[in-house]
Amino acid sequence: MRILSGIKIAVIAKIILVSLALAILGLLMQSAFMNGDVQIGSFLAVAMVLIALIYFTKISIPMKFFLPGLLLLITFVVVPVVYTVSMAAYQYKTGNKLSKPEALAMLQKSDAFAQVPTEPRYDLKLGWCDGKYGDAKPVAGPICALVTDYTTDKYFLATADKFTVVPKNLVTFSKLGLPNGVTQTGAQPAWEEFYPDEYATYDKLLNATRFKYDKPGMFMKAEGYSVMAVYAARITYDSKADAFTDIKTGAIYKDNGKGNYANTKNAKDVMTPGWRAVVWFDNFVALFTDPSISQPLISVFIWTLVFATTTVITQFALGLLIAIVLQKKIKARWLYRSIIILPYAMPSIMSILIWGGMLNTDFGAVNNLISLIAGHKIHLNWLTDPTLARSAVLLVNLWLGFPYFYLISSGALQAIPAELTEAASIDGASGGQTFRRITLPLLMQMLTPLLISSFAFNFNNFNLIFLLTGGGPRDVLGGASAGATDILISYTYNIAFSKGTENFGLASAISILIFVVVAAISLYGIRRSKVLETFA
Amino acid sequence: MIIIKWIKESFWRHLVAWAVCFFALFPLYMIVLTSFKKTTSLQVNSFLPTGFSWANFNSLLNNPNIPYFRWMYNSVVIATIVSVVSVFIGAASAFAFSRLRFRGKKTGIQALLLIQMFPSVLALSAVYVIMDRVHTFAPAIGLGTQGGLILVYLGGAMGVNIWLLKGFVDSIPLELDEAARVDGASPMQIYWRIFLPLASPVLAVVTLLSFIGTFNEYILASLFLSDINSRTIAVGLQSFISGEFESNWGPFAAGSILTSVPIVVVFLSLQRYIISGLTAGSVKG
Repeated sequence: MRILSGIKIAVIAKIILVSLALAILGLLMQSAFMNGDVQIGSFLAVAMVLIALIYFTKISIPMKFFLPGLLLLITFVVVPVVYTVSMAAYQYKTGNKLSKPEALAMLQKSDAFAQVPTEPRYDLKLGWCDGKYGDAKPVAGPICALVTDYTTDKYFLATADKFTVVPKNLVTFSKLGLPNGVTQTGAQPAWEEFYPDEYATYDKLLNATRFKYDKPGMFMKAEGYSVMAVYAARITYDSKADAFTDIKTGAIYKDNGKGNYANTKNAKDVMTPGWRAVVWFDNFVALFTDPSISQPLISVFIWTLVFATTTVITQFALGLLIAIVLQKKIKARWLYRSIIILPYAMPSIMSILIWGGMLNTDFGAVNNLISLIAGHKIHLNWLTDPTLARSAVLLVNLWLGFPYFYLISSGALQAIPAELTEAASIDGASGGQTFRRITLPLLMQMLTPLLISSFAFNFNNFNLIFLLTGGGPRDVLGGASAGATDILISYTYNIAFSKGTENFGLASAISILIFVVVAAISLYGIRRSKVLETFA
Repeated sequence: MIIIKWIKESFWRHLVAWAVCFFALFPLYMIVLTSFKKTTSLQVNSFLPTGFSWANFNSLLNNPNIPYFRWMYNSVVIATIVSVVSVFIGAASAFAFSRLRFRGKKTGIQALLLIQMFPSVLALSAVYVIMDRVHTFAPAIGLGTQGGLILVYLGGAMGVNIWLLKGFVDSIPLELDEAARVDGASPMQIYWRIFLPLASPVLAVVTLLSFIGTFNEYILASLFLSDINSRTIAVGLQSFISGEFESNWGPFAAGSILTSVPIVVVFLSLQRYIISGLTAGSVKG
């Protein structure tokens, strides 16, 4: 008697597999929640519910096939892409990376101070507060300042942590009418002035001391030995108005809605750090209106088009030429064929790096070969001269890609019925005429979708540019942010990730632009190839 | 007369083929030449071999500071896991897209196609942030681990693989699974009993393509894996010529050859299948 049929084994296997997946995700979810990452934890929880629902019920049979791939695709492609796209609506760059509360806390921590213009400047005598008048002087106590406001005839004693008003009758005066001592009464300490040599001895201590003042947020600092000035944090924050005031210049900084507190009288004067703020379409508008952004962008865009177009044309032309040459069964055809496929079979990352070395001006094999042919030493700056660097990128890409076009062209040539070309030659067409009028049009009809997808691929050929030239040569002295060989994607990568001047919001805006261009091209290509027709 | 005819019909073909072969072989020849030199520099004094030395291979394989085998092992393990798992998972979706009927199928395919067109390099920092957060509660699969890199690769491979596999699956005749359906088989049974065995050669080819693609990946691997022992071969070899090891072109050349030979051999032996995969659905006239 068969206890387990094939179906039962499959059911048991399914239960084990699904439970295992749920257990792993459950563990992850638990530690996510325990670490306080609610977003990821909830995401995992939703995924678990979906898995249980789809595999233990019969809600949707297609979903049983889609779910694993779908979950991976959503987690590692859709979510990052959506996040990136949404960043295009933000002011998000170096200096604007924090959240607003974080930025506010940092701004309030600022330790820049300024003299308070509304407080008087006092006259100052330095001395010691402990001990009675005429006692032996203390070795080194806190410096005690006798602060005088002659305009109101008021006297104060101040140390780093104490501020006391002294009645005038306790103050003793010199013959010149200057205060030179304070008598002790009750809690009121006695005060004795420094001997002249003590001023120099305690100079450092004096400079480091902030004397207490009786208004909140303010303190006094000695200026020289005879003036006491009142200071406060230069920037003060008013939480009700959500505004900072610079007490030195009187300027008021308000939230400008673009991620910074900006001077109400001069919009360009902003406080740093700022924060990530929603600016909606500002990044897109800047693409077209800010010349420092739009000019490099336009030149990079043009070069990207030139690069992608020229690449496809040269790769296709050379590939087709070889396909035609090797169409006839000549001797050693298999050998030629194998050699020509080699560049395509090599891991492209290795090839690009090898070419980078070969294009070296002083040691590179390319210059050596040219020198050998020319008969004398030739130094071409392949990677540092803009025009040569562009030619080099095209040359290397031709090398990388022509075997692919050889392969597909030779396949397409075989697919063209021989009767057509035979009929043409019977009708008296020359070889060239047959090719131009019959073979090429048919070929183009078959290969256009592949040409278009190749164009779309090269439009975003990041590895080639990044590893071969790094987008350079860059006009560093001219301050150009775009290198001569930078294509849109490498340029955008630089904007998003270059240390110190990252501008993620702008980069996201450009990447949406790229997405639209590539999607338009590809959709056109798909329409040509009519791939989607079968699902209509 | 025969010679003239030969020149007219074949000679020029050989001439062109020779020129193109020279173009194709030149960099490969240079890398072989560099790898067998005594010095590690890039400089070539002569295009003909002047001496023969294993020095560069030696330093690549025996220098304890250059964990070549470790890198190679990492790359092979990562690429194998990614290609096998992603094709296994992708095949199910491709089967559903190609064989099942359900609402929203067309939208699904279009969405899949669209999402692939977003320049993925730019979603890097979002992936980075996510995996950095994952690292705080699951150190085994977060940022800086190969496990995390594999997960990210799997996600990235889904779109391409489903699309590629769908192209193949569409070309597998419908009759067999229709017959099975008539006999009362469920979609799951058709998938496991009929589709997978039928499609296995196709799956093998896509696995291979996916393997090569993962093997060639540079930017994510360089962002993710900072520890020298966890690097992939692409990142490791790149570091030879970009400062960290000074310009070690000799060992780099040796490493490139050792790395490329197996891939080239597999590629050439399976080229017929690979090419049909690359052009699936388009060169049909």
